[in-house]
Amino acid sequence: MVLESVGFTSLRITEYFDPFGDTSKERVARKYGVRGVNVHALKS
Amino acid sequence: MATTCPVDLDTARLRHEIRAIYARVASDPMSEFHFHRGPAYAAERLGYDATALAALPSEATASFAGVANPLRMAALPAGATVVDIGCGAGMDLMLAAGAVGPNGHAIGIDMTEPMAERARASARALGFANVEVRAGDALDLPVDSESVDFVISNGVLNLATDKRHAFGEVFRILKPGGQFLYADIIVASELSESIRRDVDLWTG
Repeated sequence: MVLESVGFTSLRITEYFDPFGDTSKERVARKYGVRGVNVHALKS
Repeated sequence: MATTCPVDLDTARLRHEIRAIYARVASDPMSEFHFHRGPAYAAERLGYDATALAALPSEATASFAGVANPLRMAALPAGATVVDIGCGAGMDLMLAAGAVGPNGHAIGIDMTEPMAERARASARALGFANVEVRAGDALDLPVDSESVDFVISNGVLNLATDKRHAFGEVFRILKPGGQFLYADIIVASELSESIRRDVDLWTG
């Protein structure tokens, strides 16, 4: 993952969201599995 | 996941389109866009505290167009320094400024001047002297190296034309032990070339 390649550690996806529901991009988002995420990363 | 633009995507045009769209979100958030905006969306779909949002100026919340909720990942301690990359009208930035308090420092960075000005106006309305909004973008952050405890960003770095470079900038400005509270979109499957070249999708 790109975050690790620049030096971040302890990467965790902590939560998923559905920001495109009920928008004109919902169909494309569903097709490609596009979701909102919270990602926590640490600079050790 | 692709980390850079397709070579034949006009990145100058992409930056222009991003600026134009988010300037319109700042000036006319109730206009038609292909993404949600505003505090009701933030509370209902992203889990923001509706009461906390109601306490913010509408200038900060009406143009909110984030995709997740970075401040749910950590409690920002009083006195901390936090940078919000692509702070927009400042909704996350104001919440962060309130958390770190008067002895902390909340620095917003945005390349869209109308958005940055809304964030500054919100800070003034709230009496937050610990807020500073700087012009800049994710590929060249106007922040000293190893000077920041937390970096937050919400739905912005997916717009960066070189994500490795943008993440490297985040890493540079964080102190050792600093935390990156990164909110954005992910894609479960590889995108087709036609999708990757679609500026309209990039700018959403």
